[in-house]
Amino acid sequence: MTLSPDQNILFEIWGIAINATVFFTWVVMALLTLAAGLITRNLRPDVPPGRWRTTLEVIVLGIQSQIEEVSGRREDHLLYFAGTLFLFVAVSNLLLVVPGFTPPTASLSTTTALALSVLIAVPLFGITSRGLGGYLKTYLEPSVVMLPFNIISEASRSISLAIRLYGNIMSGAVIAAILLSIVPFFFPVVMDVLGLLTGMIQAYIFAILATVYISSATASSQPKKDTQ
Amino acid sequence: MSIDWITVAAQIVNFLVLVWLLKRFLYRPILDGIDAREEEITQRMQEAVHAREEAETREQEYQDQIESLNLKQADMTETIRKEAEKQRDVLLAEARERVENERASWSKHLDEEKRKYTSRLHRVGASAILALTGKALTDLADETLEERMVQSLARRIEPMASDLKRAAGQAAEAVVTSHAALSQAGQDAMESKLKEVFPDLSVRFETNEEQSHGLILRIGGAQLAWTVETYLDGLDEMIDAQLSSREGSGAQSDEQ
Repeated sequence: MTLSPDQNILFEIWGIAINATVFFTWVVMALLTLAAGLITRNLRPDVPPGRWRTTLEVIVLGIQSQIEEVSGRREDHLLYFAGTLFLFVAVSNLLLVVPGFTPPTASLSTTTALALSVLIAVPLFGITSRGLGGYLKTYLEPSVVMLPFNIISEASRSISLAIRLYGNIMSGAVIAAILLSIVPFFFPVVMDVLGLLTGMIQAYIFAILATVYISSATASSQPKKDTQ
Repeated sequence: MSIDWITVAAQIVNFLVLVWLLKRFLYRPILDGIDAREEEITQRMQEAVHAREEAETREQEYQDQIESLNLKQADMTETIRKEAEKQRDVLLAEARERVENERASWSKHLDEEKRKYTSRLHRVGASAILALTGKALTDLADETLEERMVQSLARRIEPMASDLKRAAGQAAEAVVTSHAALSQAGQDAMESKLKEVFPDLSVRFETNEEQSHGLILRIGGAQLAWTVETYLDGLDEMIDAQLSSREGSGAQSDEQ
Protein backbone atom coordinates (compact mmCIF):
# COMPACT_ATOMS: atom_id res chain seq x y z
CA MET A 1 0.00 0.00 0.00
CA THR A 2 1.42 3.33 -1.06
CA LEU A 3 0.56 6.51 0.77
CA SER A 4 0.98 8.72 -2.31
CA PRO A 5 -0.39 8.17 -5.81
CA ASP A 6 2.69 9.98 -7.17
CA GLN A 7 4.58 6.72 -7.11
CA ASN A 8 1.90 4.89 -9.07
CA ILE A 9 3.06 5.26 -12.67
CA LEU A 10 0.18 4.46 -15.00
CA PHE A 11 1.73 5.00 -18.46
CA GLU A 12 4.28 7.00 -20.38
CA ILE A 13 3.90 9.60 -23.12
CA TRP A 14 6.99 10.28 -25.21
CA GLY A 15 9.10 8.86 -22.40
CA ILE A 16 7.46 11.00 -19.74
CA ALA A 17 6.02 8.93 -16.91
CA ILE A 18 2.41 9.83 -16.10
CA ASN A 19 1.56 8.99 -12.50
CA ALA A 20 -1.92 8.53 -11.03
CA THR A 21 -1.95 12.03 -9.54
CA VAL A 22 -1.51 13.74 -12.89
CA PHE A 23 -3.77 11.32 -14.71
CA PHE A 24 -6.69 11.69 -12.30
CA THR A 25 -6.13 15.43 -12.27
CA TRP A 26 -6.67 15.35 -16.01
CA VAL A 27 -9.77 13.27 -15.50
CA VAL A 28 -11.18 15.85 -13.09
CA MET A 29 -10.23 18.67 -15.46
CA ALA A 30 -11.88 16.92 -18.38
CA LEU A 31 -15.05 16.25 -16.38
CA LEU A 32 -15.36 19.85 -15.22
CA THR A 33 -14.59 21.34 -18.63
CA LEU A 34 -16.88 18.98 -20.54
CA ALA A 35 -19.77 19.47 -18.15
CA ALA A 36 -19.39 23.25 -18.18
CA GLY A 37 -18.96 23.35 -21.96
CA LEU A 38 -21.98 21.13 -22.63
CA ILE A 39 -24.25 23.05 -20.29
CA THR A 40 -23.21 26.53 -21.43
CA ARG A 41 -22.80 25.89 -25.19
CA ASN A 42 -26.32 27.09 -26.13
CA LEU A 43 -26.56 29.83 -23.57
CA ARG A 44 -28.59 32.78 -24.81
CA PRO A 45 -30.31 35.53 -22.81
CA ASP A 46 -33.68 34.96 -24.47
CA VAL A 47 -33.72 31.20 -23.68
CA PRO A 48 -35.04 30.34 -20.21
CA PRO A 49 -32.39 28.56 -18.14
CA GLY A 50 -32.71 24.77 -17.81
CA ARG A 51 -32.13 22.79 -14.66
CA TRP A 52 -28.41 22.13 -15.39
CA ARG A 53 -27.75 25.74 -16.25
CA THR A 54 -29.63 26.80 -13.13
CA THR A 55 -27.49 24.38 -11.09
CA LEU A 56 -24.32 25.89 -12.51
CA GLU A 57 -25.67 29.40 -11.89
CA VAL A 58 -26.42 28.47 -8.27
CA ILE A 59 -22.91 27.09 -7.81
CA VAL A 60 -21.16 30.06 -9.46
CA LEU A 61 -23.34 32.65 -7.71
CA GLY A 62 -22.84 30.80 -4.39
CA ILE A 63 -19.08 30.97 -4.79
CA GLN A 64 -19.31 34.60 -5.85
CA SER A 65 -21.46 35.54 -2.85
CA GLN A 66 -19.02 33.78 -0.48
CA ILE A 67 -16.12 35.73 -2.01
CA GLU A 68 -18.11 38.97 -1.72
CA GLU A 69 -18.86 38.23 1.92
CA VAL A 70 -15.16 37.70 2.63
CA SER A 71 -13.65 40.45 0.47
CA GLY A 72 -16.55 42.89 0.58
CA ARG A 73 -16.53 43.43 -3.20
CA ARG A 74 -17.06 41.58 -6.46
CA GLU A 75 -13.81 40.47 -8.05
CA ASP A 76 -14.00 38.29 -11.12
CA HIS A 77 -10.30 37.26 -11.06
CA LEU A 78 -10.61 36.12 -7.49
CA LEU A 79 -13.72 34.19 -8.49
CA TYR A 80 -11.83 32.38 -11.25
CA PHE A 81 -9.00 31.46 -8.91
CA ALA A 82 -10.83 30.59 -5.70
CA GLY A 83 -13.78 29.05 -7.54
CA THR A 84 -11.50 26.78 -9.52
CA LEU A 85 -9.74 25.78 -6.32
CA PHE A 86 -13.07 24.88 -4.71
CA LEU A 87 -14.45 23.02 -7.71
CA PHE A 88 -11.25 21.07 -8.34
CA VAL A 89 -10.83 20.02 -4.72
CA ALA A 90 -14.55 19.30 -4.28
CA VAL A 91 -14.90 17.18 -7.42
CA SER A 92 -11.66 15.36 -6.68
CA ASN A 93 -12.88 14.55 -3.18
CA LEU A 94 -16.38 13.56 -4.36
CA LEU A 95 -14.91 11.12 -6.86
CA LEU A 96 -13.36 9.32 -3.89
CA VAL A 97 -16.43 7.04 -3.92
CA VAL A 98 -15.74 5.91 -7.49
CA PRO A 99 -13.97 2.53 -7.36
CA GLY A 100 -10.45 2.75 -8.71
CA PHE A 101 -10.35 6.53 -8.57
CA THR A 102 -7.58 8.02 -6.49
CA PRO A 103 -8.24 11.64 -5.60
CA PRO A 104 -5.39 13.89 -6.73
CA THR A 105 -5.86 15.80 -3.51
CA ALA A 106 -4.64 12.72 -1.65
CA SER A 107 -1.22 13.51 -3.04
CA LEU A 108 0.96 15.89 -1.08
CA SER A 109 2.36 17.05 -4.43
CA THR A 110 -1.07 18.22 -5.51
CA THR A 111 -1.89 19.99 -2.27
CA THR A 112 1.60 21.52 -2.26
CA ALA A 113 1.03 22.70 -5.82
CA LEU A 114 -2.28 24.27 -4.84
CA ALA A 115 -0.74 25.86 -1.75
CA LEU A 116 2.12 27.21 -3.84
CA SER A 117 -0.42 28.59 -6.30
CA VAL A 118 -2.07 30.43 -3.42
CA LEU A 119 1.33 31.53 -2.14
CA ILE A 120 2.11 33.01 -5.56
CA ALA A 121 -1.40 34.38 -6.10
CA VAL A 122 -1.42 36.38 -2.87
CA PRO A 123 1.47 38.70 -3.83
CA LEU A 124 0.31 38.79 -7.43
CA PHE A 125 -3.17 39.97 -6.47
CA GLY A 126 -1.64 42.33 -3.90
CA ILE A 127 0.80 43.85 -6.37
CA THR A 128 -1.91 44.13 -9.03
CA SER A 129 -4.16 45.83 -6.56
CA ARG A 130 -1.87 48.24 -4.71
CA GLY A 131 1.41 48.18 -6.68
CA LEU A 132 4.77 46.58 -5.79
CA GLY A 133 5.79 49.18 -3.26
CA GLY A 134 2.46 49.21 -1.57
CA TYR A 135 2.44 45.44 -1.28
CA LEU A 136 6.00 45.20 0.07
CA LYS A 137 5.12 47.82 2.66
CA THR A 138 2.60 45.43 4.17
CA TYR A 139 5.53 43.29 5.35
CA LEU A 140 6.83 46.24 7.37
CA GLU A 141 3.51 46.85 9.10
CA PRO A 142 2.87 47.70 11.80
CA SER A 143 6.71 48.12 12.23
CA VAL A 144 9.96 46.96 10.66
CA VAL A 145 10.44 44.58 13.55
CA MET A 146 7.54 42.55 12.25
CA LEU A 147 9.23 41.81 8.87
CA PRO A 148 10.56 38.35 9.76
CA PHE A 149 7.31 37.41 11.44
CA ASN A 150 5.30 38.45 8.42
CA ILE A 151 7.56 36.38 6.14
CA ILE A 152 7.23 33.36 8.46
CA SER A 153 3.47 33.92 8.52
CA GLU A 154 3.23 33.84 4.71
CA ALA A 155 5.29 30.63 4.52
CA SER A 156 3.41 28.91 7.32
CA ARG A 157 0.09 29.76 5.66
CA SER A 158 1.05 27.85 2.55
CA ILE A 159 2.45 24.94 4.49
CA SER A 160 -0.65 24.72 6.66
CA LEU A 161 -2.90 24.86 3.62
CA ALA A 162 -1.01 22.05 1.91
CA ILE A 163 -0.70 19.83 4.95
CA ARG A 164 -4.32 20.33 6.07
CA LEU A 165 -5.82 19.30 2.76
CA TYR A 166 -3.39 16.50 2.13
CA GLY A 167 -3.73 15.11 5.65
CA ASN A 168 -7.48 15.08 5.62
CA ILE A 169 -7.95 13.53 2.18
CA MET A 170 -5.05 11.13 2.37
CA SER A 171 -6.05 9.99 5.84
CA GLY A 172 -9.63 9.46 4.70
CA ALA A 173 -8.50 7.36 1.75
CA VAL A 174 -6.03 5.40 3.86
CA ILE A 175 -8.52 4.77 6.63
CA ALA A 176 -11.08 3.57 4.10
CA ALA A 177 -8.49 1.24 2.55
CA ILE A 178 -7.42 -0.09 5.94
CA LEU A 179 -11.00 -0.68 7.04
CA LEU A 180 -11.82 -2.34 3.72
CA SER A 181 -9.03 -4.85 4.35
CA ILE A 182 -10.03 -5.48 7.96
CA VAL A 183 -13.82 -5.21 7.92
CA PRO A 184 -15.02 -5.50 4.32
CA PHE A 185 -18.66 -4.62 5.07
CA PHE A 186 -20.47 -1.57 6.44
CA PHE A 187 -17.56 0.37 7.96
CA PRO A 188 -15.87 1.28 4.68
CA VAL A 189 -19.20 2.64 3.42
CA VAL A 190 -19.63 4.77 6.53
CA MET A 191 -16.09 6.01 6.18
CA ASP A 192 -16.67 6.83 2.52
CA VAL A 193 -19.72 8.90 3.44
CA LEU A 194 -17.68 10.60 6.12
CA GLY A 195 -14.92 11.12 3.56
CA LEU A 196 -17.38 12.84 1.20
CA LEU A 197 -18.43 15.20 3.97
CA THR A 198 -14.84 15.84 5.01
CA GLY A 199 -13.83 16.37 1.39
CA MET A 200 -16.52 19.00 0.81
CA ILE A 201 -15.62 20.75 4.05
CA GLN A 202 -11.92 20.72 3.15
CA ALA A 203 -12.68 22.11 -0.32
CA TYR A 204 -14.70 24.91 1.24
CA ILE A 205 -12.00 25.61 3.87
CA PHE A 206 -9.21 25.59 1.28
CA ALA A 207 -11.04 27.98 -1.06
CA ILE A 208 -12.23 30.30 1.69
CA LEU A 209 -8.77 30.50 3.26
CA ALA A 210 -7.24 31.31 -0.12
CA THR A 211 -9.86 34.01 -0.55
CA VAL A 212 -9.14 35.43 2.89
CA TYR A 213 -5.42 35.53 2.22
CA ILE A 214 -5.80 37.18 -1.15
CA SER A 215 -8.41 39.60 0.16
CA SER A 216 -6.20 40.59 3.07
CA ALA A 217 -3.47 41.37 0.57
CA THR A 218 -5.75 43.57 -1.49
CA ALA A 219 -8.27 44.91 1.04
CA SER A 220 -6.38 47.88 2.51
CA SER A 221 -5.70 49.31 -0.91
CA GLN A 222 -9.36 50.01 -1.59
CA PRO A 223 -9.85 53.06 0.71
CA LYS A 224 -6.70 54.62 -0.79
CA LYS A 225 -8.18 54.25 -4.26
CA ASP A 226 -11.43 55.73 -3.11
CA THR A 227 -9.74 58.75 -1.56
CA GLN A 228 -7.72 59.29 -4.72
CA MET B 1 4.95 11.08 2.61
CA SER B 2 7.10 12.66 -0.02
CA ILE B 3 6.84 15.52 -2.45
CA ASP B 4 7.48 14.84 -6.12
CA TRP B 5 8.48 18.29 -7.34
CA ILE B 6 7.96 17.36 -10.96
CA THR B 7 4.41 16.39 -10.11
CA VAL B 8 4.05 19.64 -8.15
CA ALA B 9 5.09 21.62 -11.21
CA ALA B 10 2.76 19.59 -13.41
CA GLN B 11 -0.12 20.13 -10.98
CA ILE B 12 0.55 23.87 -10.88
CA VAL B 13 0.39 23.93 -14.66
CA ASN B 14 -2.71 21.71 -14.61
CA PHE B 15 -4.35 24.02 -12.10
CA LEU B 16 -3.60 27.12 -14.14
CA VAL B 17 -4.92 25.40 -17.27
CA LEU B 18 -8.04 24.44 -15.35
CA VAL B 19 -8.47 28.04 -14.21
CA TRP B 20 -8.33 29.18 -17.83
CA LEU B 21 -10.67 26.40 -19.03
CA LEU B 22 -13.27 27.09 -16.37
CA LYS B 23 -13.03 30.81 -17.01
CA ARG B 24 -13.60 30.12 -20.71
CA PHE B 25 -16.36 27.49 -20.42
CA LEU B 26 -17.96 28.12 -17.03
CA TYR B 27 -17.54 31.46 -15.32
CA ARG B 28 -17.70 33.87 -18.25
CA PRO B 29 -20.68 32.22 -20.01
CA ILE B 30 -22.59 31.91 -16.74
CA LEU B 31 -21.78 35.44 -15.52
CA ASP B 32 -22.37 36.96 -18.97
CA GLY B 33 -25.65 35.06 -19.22
CA ILE B 34 -26.73 36.30 -15.80
CA ASP B 35 -25.67 39.86 -16.63
CA ALA B 36 -27.48 39.70 -20.00
CA ARG B 37 -30.58 38.30 -18.33
CA GLU B 38 -30.50 40.95 -15.64
CA GLU B 39 -30.01 43.59 -18.31
CA GLU B 40 -32.88 42.14 -20.31
CA ILE B 41 -35.09 42.01 -17.22
CA THR B 42 -34.15 45.61 -16.41
CA GLN B 43 -34.83 46.61 -19.99
CA ARG B 44 -38.18 44.78 -19.98
CA MET B 45 -39.12 46.37 -16.69
CA GLN B 46 -38.20 49.77 -18.09
CA GLU B 47 -40.24 48.94 -21.20
CA ALA B 48 -43.10 47.81 -18.96
CA VAL B 49 -42.86 51.04 -16.97
CA HIS B 50 -42.69 53.00 -20.21
CA ALA B 51 -45.61 51.03 -21.64
CA ARG B 52 -47.57 51.62 -18.44
CA GLU B 53 -46.86 55.34 -18.57
CA GLU B 54 -47.79 55.39 -22.24
CA ALA B 55 -50.97 53.44 -21.50
CA GLU B 56 -51.85 55.88 -18.72
CA THR B 57 -51.17 58.79 -21.05
CA ARG B 58 -53.32 57.19 -23.72
CA GLU B 59 -56.05 56.51 -21.18
CA GLN B 60 -55.97 60.15 -20.12
CA GLU B 61 -56.09 61.23 -23.76
CA TYR B 62 -59.04 58.96 -24.44
CA GLN B 63 -60.80 60.22 -21.32
CA ASP B 64 -60.26 63.78 -22.49
CA GLN B 65 -61.49 62.85 -25.96
CA ILE B 66 -64.59 61.19 -24.50
CA GLU B 67 -65.33 64.26 -22.37
CA SER B 68 -64.76 66.52 -25.36
CA LEU B 69 -67.01 64.32 -27.49
CA ASN B 70 -69.69 64.35 -24.80
CA LEU B 71 -69.55 68.14 -24.66
CA LYS B 72 -69.65 68.35 -28.45
CA GLN B 73 -72.54 65.89 -28.52
CA ALA B 74 -74.48 68.01 -26.01
CA ASP B 75 -73.75 71.14 -28.01
CA MET B 76 -74.73 69.43 -31.25
CA THR B 77 -77.91 68.09 -29.67
CA GLU B 78 -78.81 71.57 -28.44
CA THR B 79 -78.00 73.11 -31.82
CA ILE B 80 -79.99 70.44 -33.65
CA ARG B 81 -82.93 70.92 -31.26
CA LYS B 82 -82.92 74.66 -31.84
CA GLU B 83 -82.52 74.16 -35.57
CA ALA B 84 -85.41 71.68 -35.54
CA GLU B 85 -87.58 74.11 -33.61
CA LYS B 86 -86.70 76.87 -36.05
CA GLN B 87 -87.37 74.54 -38.98
CA ARG B 88 -90.67 73.49 -37.39
CA ASP B 89 -91.69 77.13 -36.96
CA VAL B 90 -90.76 77.87 -40.55
CA LEU B 91 -92.68 74.82 -41.80
CA LEU B 92 -95.67 75.70 -39.64
CA ALA B 93 -95.61 79.27 -40.91
CA GLU B 94 -95.32 78.01 -44.46
CA ALA B 95 -98.15 75.56 -43.87
CA ARG B 96 -100.32 78.26 -42.32
CA GLU B 97 -99.53 80.59 -45.20
CA ARG B 98 -100.27 77.82 -47.69
CA VAL B 99 -103.53 77.03 -45.92
CA GLU B 100 -104.41 80.70 -45.85
CA ASN B 101 -103.58 81.02 -49.52
CA GLU B 102 -105.58 77.91 -50.32
CA ARG B 103 -108.42 79.18 -48.21
CA ALA B 104 -108.26 82.58 -49.91
CA SER B 105 -108.02 80.91 -53.29
CA TRP B 106 -110.84 78.58 -52.39
CA SER B 107 -112.88 81.52 -51.08
CA LYS B 108 -112.14 83.50 -54.21
CA HIS B 109 -113.04 80.52 -56.33
CA LEU B 110 -116.19 80.04 -54.31
CA ASP B 111 -117.10 83.69 -54.67
CA GLU B 112 -116.46 83.48 -58.39
CA GLU B 113 -118.55 80.35 -58.62
CA LYS B 114 -121.23 82.00 -56.55
CA ARG B 115 -121.08 85.08 -58.74
CA LYS B 116 -121.28 82.99 -61.88
CA TYR B 117 -124.07 80.94 -60.44
CA THR B 118 -125.91 84.02 -59.26
CA SER B 119 -125.44 85.70 -62.61
CA ARG B 120 -126.66 82.62 -64.45
CA LEU B 121 -129.51 82.29 -61.99
CA HIS B 122 -130.12 85.95 -62.45
CA ARG B 123 -130.54 85.58 -66.15
CA VAL B 124 -132.37 82.33 -65.96
CA GLY B 125 -134.57 83.55 -63.12
CA ALA B 126 -135.27 86.84 -64.85
CA SER B 127 -136.09 85.05 -68.07
CA ALA B 128 -138.27 82.60 -66.21
CA ILE B 129 -140.03 85.32 -64.25
CA LEU B 130 -140.55 87.44 -67.31
CA ALA B 131 -141.61 84.45 -69.35
CA LEU B 132 -144.03 83.31 -66.69
CA THR B 133 -145.25 86.82 -65.98
CA GLY B 134 -145.60 87.58 -69.67
CA LYS B 135 -147.35 84.32 -70.35
CA ALA B 136 -149.64 84.82 -67.36
CA LEU B 137 -150.35 88.40 -68.39
CA THR B 138 -151.00 87.39 -71.96
CA ASP B 139 -153.16 84.44 -71.02
CA LEU B 140 -155.10 86.17 -68.32
CA ALA B 141 -155.34 89.80 -69.55
CA ASP B 142 -154.36 89.65 -73.19
CA GLU B 143 -151.49 92.09 -72.50
CA THR B 144 -147.74 91.99 -73.05
CA LEU B 145 -145.32 92.72 -70.21
CA GLU B 146 -143.29 95.26 -72.18
CA GLU B 147 -146.41 97.24 -73.03
CA ARG B 148 -147.56 97.19 -69.43
CA MET B 149 -144.08 98.22 -68.29
CA VAL B 150 -144.09 101.09 -70.83
CA GLN B 151 -147.46 102.22 -69.55
CA SER B 152 -146.38 101.91 -65.97
CA LEU B 153 -143.12 103.86 -66.62
CA ALA B 154 -145.08 106.47 -68.53
CA ARG B 155 -147.37 106.92 -65.55
CA ARG B 156 -144.45 107.51 -63.26
CA ILE B 157 -142.80 110.09 -65.48
CA GLU B 158 -145.52 112.67 -64.96
CA PRO B 159 -145.29 112.91 -61.11
CA MET B 160 -141.52 113.06 -61.40
CA ALA B 161 -141.45 115.56 -64.27
CA SER B 162 -140.09 118.49 -62.27
CA ASP B 163 -137.29 116.39 -60.76
CA LEU B 164 -136.41 114.95 -64.18
CA LYS B 165 -136.30 118.37 -65.81
CA ARG B 166 -134.03 119.67 -63.09
CA ALA B 167 -131.80 116.67 -63.40
CA ALA B 168 -131.82 116.64 -67.22
CA GLY B 169 -130.66 120.22 -67.54
CA GLN B 170 -130.12 121.24 -71.18
CA ALA B 171 -130.17 117.67 -72.56
CA ALA B 172 -131.68 117.38 -76.03
CA GLU B 173 -132.08 113.66 -76.23
CA ALA B 174 -133.67 110.97 -74.15
CA VAL B 175 -132.41 107.40 -74.43
CA VAL B 176 -134.67 104.50 -73.59
CA THR B 177 -132.74 101.23 -73.11
CA SER B 178 -134.34 97.81 -72.94
CA HIS B 179 -133.15 94.20 -72.82
CA ALA B 180 -135.07 93.35 -76.01
CA ALA B 181 -136.34 95.64 -78.69
CA LEU B 182 -139.66 97.28 -77.82
CA SER B 183 -142.65 96.88 -80.10
CA GLN B 184 -143.51 99.81 -82.25
CA ALA B 185 -146.65 100.45 -80.22
CA GLY B 186 -144.65 100.51 -77.05
CA GLN B 187 -142.07 102.88 -78.60
CA ASP B 188 -144.85 105.16 -79.78
CA ALA B 189 -146.56 105.18 -76.42
CA MET B 190 -143.27 105.93 -74.66
CA GLU B 191 -142.32 108.65 -77.10
CA SER B 192 -145.76 110.33 -76.95
CA LYS B 193 -145.64 110.33 -73.15
CA LEU B 194 -142.14 111.84 -73.10
CA LYS B 195 -143.14 114.47 -75.65
CA GLU B 196 -145.91 115.58 -73.31
CA VAL B 197 -143.41 116.38 -70.59
CA PHE B 198 -140.39 117.24 -72.73
CA PRO B 199 -141.75 118.61 -76.07
CA ASP B 200 -138.35 119.53 -77.51
CA LEU B 201 -136.70 116.28 -76.60
CA SER B 202 -135.86 113.66 -79.21
CA VAL B 203 -136.27 110.04 -78.13
CA ARG B 204 -133.96 107.22 -79.10
CA PHE B 205 -134.55 103.51 -78.29
CA GLU B 206 -131.62 101.12 -77.69
CA THR B 207 -131.22 97.50 -76.68
CA ASN B 208 -128.67 96.14 -74.17
CA GLU B 209 -128.50 92.38 -73.54
CA GLU B 210 -126.46 92.96 -70.41
CA GLN B 211 -129.27 94.96 -68.92
CA SER B 212 -132.05 93.36 -66.90
CA HIS B 213 -135.49 93.08 -68.36
CA GLY B 214 -137.38 96.34 -68.21
CA LEU B 215 -136.71 99.93 -69.24
CA ILE B 216 -134.11 102.56 -68.31
CA LEU B 217 -134.64 106.15 -69.24
CA ARG B 218 -131.64 108.51 -69.39
CA ILE B 219 -132.03 112.20 -69.96
CA GLY B 220 -128.72 113.99 -69.50
CA GLY B 221 -127.63 113.26 -65.95
CA ALA B 222 -131.03 111.91 -64.92
CA GLN B 223 -131.82 108.21 -64.99
CA LEU B 224 -135.05 106.46 -64.27
CA ALA B 225 -134.94 102.65 -64.14
CA TRP B 226 -138.02 100.45 -64.26
CA THR B 227 -136.63 96.91 -64.35
CA VAL B 228 -136.94 93.59 -62.61
CA GLU B 229 -133.50 94.21 -61.07
CA THR B 230 -134.92 94.94 -57.64
CA TYR B 231 -136.94 91.72 -57.71
CA LEU B 232 -133.87 89.83 -58.83
CA ASP B 233 -131.95 91.41 -55.96
CA GLY B 234 -134.62 89.98 -53.69
CA LEU B 235 -134.16 86.64 -55.39
CA ASP B 236 -130.40 86.95 -54.82
CA GLU B 237 -130.97 87.56 -51.14
CA MET B 238 -133.14 84.49 -50.92
CA ILE B 239 -130.57 82.34 -52.71
CA ASP B 240 -127.77 83.72 -50.56
CA ALA B 241 -129.75 82.97 -47.42
CA GLN B 242 -130.44 79.46 -48.71
CA LEU B 243 -126.77 78.88 -49.58
CA SER B 244 -125.63 80.26 -46.24
CA SER B 245 -127.99 77.96 -44.36
CA ARG B 246 -126.77 74.96 -46.42
CA GLU B 247 -123.12 75.86 -45.85
CA GLY B 248 -123.84 76.14 -42.12
CA SER B 249 -125.50 72.74 -41.99
CA GLY B 250 -122.68 71.24 -44.16
CA ALA B 251 -120.01 72.60 -41.79
CA GLN B 252 -121.91 71.22 -38.78
CA SER B 253 -122.15 67.79 -40.42
CA ASP B 254 -118.40 67.96 -41.21
CA GLU B 255 -117.64 68.78 -37.60
CA GLN B 256 -119.83 65.90 -36.44
